[in-house]
Amino acid sequence: TDLRLSHQWSDNDVRHKVAKIVADEVAAADVDLDIRIFPTQSLFKAREQYTPLSRGQLDMTVLPLSYAGGQQPAYNLTLMPGLVKNHDHAARLNESPFMDAIEEKMAGDDVMVLVHGYLAGGFAGKDECITSPADVEGKQMRAAGKAFEQMLAGAGASIASMASSEIYNAMQTGVLDAANTSSSSFVSYRIYEQVACYTPASDYALWFMYQPLLMNKSTFEGLSEDQQAALLAGAEKAQDFYLEEAKKEDAESRRVFEEAGVEIAEMTEEDFNNWRDLARKTSYQAFVDETPDGETLLDLALSVE
Amino acid sequence: MDPLLLGALVAISSILVLFSGVSVALGLLIVSAGFLIIFDGMRSLELMPEILFGKLDNFALLSIPMFIIMGSSIASTRAGADLYEALERWLTRVPGGLVVANLGACALFAAMSGSSPATCAAIGKMGIPEMRKRGYPDGVAAGSIAAGGTLGILIPPSVTMIVYGIATETSIGRLFLAGVVPGLLLVVLFMAWSLYSTWKSGNAQVLSAGSYTWRERFEILPRVLPFLAIIVGVLYAMYGGVATPSETAAVGALLCLLIAMIIYRLWNPRDLWVVLRDSTRESVMILFIVAAAGVFSYMLSSLFITQSIAEWIGTLDVNRWVLMGAVNVFLLIAGFFLPPVAVILMAAPILLPIITTAGFDPIWFAVVLTINMEIGLISPPVGLNLYVINGIAPDISLKTILVGSLPFVACMILAIVLLCLFPGLATWLPNLVMGVAL
Amino acid sequence: MASHSSASIARAGGNPFLRIVGAISTLAGWVSAAMIVSAVAITCQMIFVRFALNKSTVWQTEAVIYLVIAATLIGLAYVQRLRGHVNVDLIPLALPMRARRVLCIFTLSLSIAMVGTMLWYGYEFWHFAWERGWKSDTVWGVRLWIPYLSLPVGLGLFALQLIADLVAVITGVDNPFGLEDI
Ligand code: NA
Ligand code: NA
Repeated sequence: TDLRLSHQWSDNDVRHKVAKIVADEVAAADVDLDIRIFPTQSLFKAREQYTPLSRGQLDMTVLPLSYAGGQQPAYNLTLMPGLVKNHDHAARLNESPFMDAIEEKMAGDDVMVLVHGYLAGGFAGKDECITSPADVEGKQMRAAGKAFEQMLAGAGASIASMASSEIYNAMQTGVLDAANTSSSSFVSYRIYEQVACYTPASDYALWFMYQPLLMNKSTFEGLSEDQQAALLAGAEKAQDFYLEEAKKEDAESRRVFEEAGVEIAEMTEEDFNNWRDLARKTSYQAFVDETPDGETLLDLALSVE
Repeated sequence: MDPLLLGALVAISSILVLFSGVSVALGLLIVSAGFLIIFDGMRSLELMPEILFGKLDNFALLSIPMFIIMGSSIASTRAGADLYEALERWLTRVPGGLVVANLGACALFAAMSGSSPATCAAIGKMGIPEMRKRGYPDGVAAGSIAAGGTLGILIPPSVTMIVYGIATETSIGRLFLAGVVPGLLLVVLFMAWSLYSTWKSGNAQVLSAGSYTWRERFEILPRVLPFLAIIVGVLYAMYGGVATPSETAAVGALLCLLIAMIIYRLWNPRDLWVVLRDSTRESVMILFIVAAAGVFSYMLSSLFITQSIAEWIGTLDVNRWVLMGAVNVFLLIAGFFLPPVAVILMAAPILLPIITTAGFDPIWFAVVLTINMEIGLISPPVGLNLYVINGIAPDISLKTILVGSLPFVACMILAIVLLCLFPGLATWLPNLVMGVAL
Repeated sequence: MASHSSASIARAGGNPFLRIVGAISTLAGWVSAAMIVSAVAITCQMIFVRFALNKSTVWQTEAVIYLVIAATLIGLAYVQRLRGHVNVDLIPLALPMRARRVLCIFTLSLSIAMVGTMLWYGYEFWHFAWERGWKSDTVWGVRLWIPYLSLPVGLGLFALQLIADLVAVITGVDNPFGLEDI
């Protein structure tokens, strides 16, 4: 049997490696199952993977789940400021009743999770450091994700929406004063050439994005028991790798920016709490307003220690 | 089935379908649907409208209609004629000055228009009749304008560079800058050839332009100001922190429309509608090809043809320049039959990995590819500029136009060779302005 | 030469069906042009808001994208009427009139089948988004059935104009491929 896996990243990205581990393990298990990976949006565009996945036209994908937040508002919780504190906390979230509730939503779309994983990100400022809400007031900013846009707007920043690939140019010409994106995007788009200060994800980080390896549920259930077992075994191995690599990426981005002579700023616990208070009033509130059982879901997420 | 064999089948079917006279975009959809049904099952048809929509779901595509509006609004005024006349008055002493003036006007106009047909039409409307009146052979008059018009897609802004940037995820700002020096190089080559051929024909005295007083020469200069205002305005918006390159196109379109309406008094709703109608027609035609070529490339990728071809070429172990030569021949042939946008969208996903693996710079390659497409624009059977010339001067035969543009095709091939010898021609300016790429 | 001269336009003769379809396509062309103009205006407004007022731009990028998509899809029929979709007519030109007519009827039928299929699945896709209440995943959160509507509408109008072109060729009102008789 042939399965098709689509994602948006290049061959040397950690998310490709996660997919590759599953594919290799399944191939090694010799259960007549072949996973063909389509990287760099070569099959579907990044935001157009969820629909074919849920309709069984695509078998697997590695996807930032919040991309499908327009179809399932609950998914917006997987990219919510301050909800995840660090990578170990993220790992605990993956095993919590909160994630069970999210997976229930996925099941409704005939989608299931094979590999859980969160990646973190930070802030970069063209002239000044961004650590607390007061730092962004009056700045033109690009944020990764709807909830972050709402929070930053609440802090008095102006929001310009653009793809992460446009950040470099926009910073260079002065269209943007600051940006928020993932650690790996900061490095791969060489934002360190354009900024004076970088606030990486460290002990306290605001930006965590859930980016699991998903599979169409019916397709999975249609496989033989051996094949299912091989997939699950591969997925388990990939998940451990994913967590370790996610931690390394933050450190790596800090090293790259430091070497490029960019000032490194730290977010303190107080900064973090200020952001979270702001988020409660802005992004959390907006989420609860537009999601039918939003309050319950949010409480579930916040209750994870 | 072996993906390479499948690829050959797709190629043959595409040629058959496209030569049947069906429109290029629908032809691409038909071939894609056929192969998807046979090798991916009926259900893959469900996906086609979604993919079609998705391929258009890109902010950068906005700049295509915008850069087309820029060209066609100015082309419908007498701005092109002013520009051409100004250059002519200053070039009276040069033998063959009129051709040189026309080529210069084409180059300047290209800096305002993203498409080649618009450039061709704007300068040709005045330039071709004038050159013929002054005794230039039909072939030189038509050929120089046809070729000069192709600069529209090399000198920024450029619709094809935008499409290339989208297809390959390279910086559009960088691509635009890469076209500047090669564009100027082509202008110089075109002019050099025109001067040489005028001199050789022995008619040098006759073929110099009319004579003008200094007063007449200075009088016309203010009429060139709107052009400078537009070019400076767009450049400032793009590189001065006002807007991203895709957004800048809208500023340019608005500026051109306003200048056309205020300075050139393009008030009449009927005239304005002609501008909009022509822009809409060209934009929709190009954007539909963009969408259909997107479905086509989905099919190629889904059947693993793209990936297999790239892999196969990788194993061939040929000299990189032999490879580049083969790629150029392929592009040239494709350009004969298909409009530039279709060639770029179909070829880029397959060629780019091959090119970068062989150590070529994707920005440099964009320029080489664009010059190949320029040749296609003035060659049958689908040479968009030929139709424009045909519309302006219906009594010049296709053969005369073709023979007249042959020397200019030679100039373009020479430019490709020069670019291969000195890649810096393309990469120097973008690296200077935007920093060295990875 | 291929059919791309700006003078050429689909002929309707006295046939009421052809005239009505032609009028609908022209109307669609106006709508399409208006959408492109709105996209220009909105983009300029966005640059002004951001650059001069230093305010947030929430809805503009998305609105402009959807306008350009809709302009493309809804403009298809009008561009077909203006014979603005480029083709390669080397073979049609080389064929005698009878064979050319047969080839034209064949390619038009194939085109209609293609667009018809896309129309069907495009309608399904639109309906799916409408039924499920999909929104875009942005702060603006536009209901996606609105932009998706351009798929069934645009493809439907396009199919209609293609059918009219087929009728015109069969009834002899228009020349196959819009080519003049030799
Ligand atoms: Na240009
Ligand atoms: Na050609």
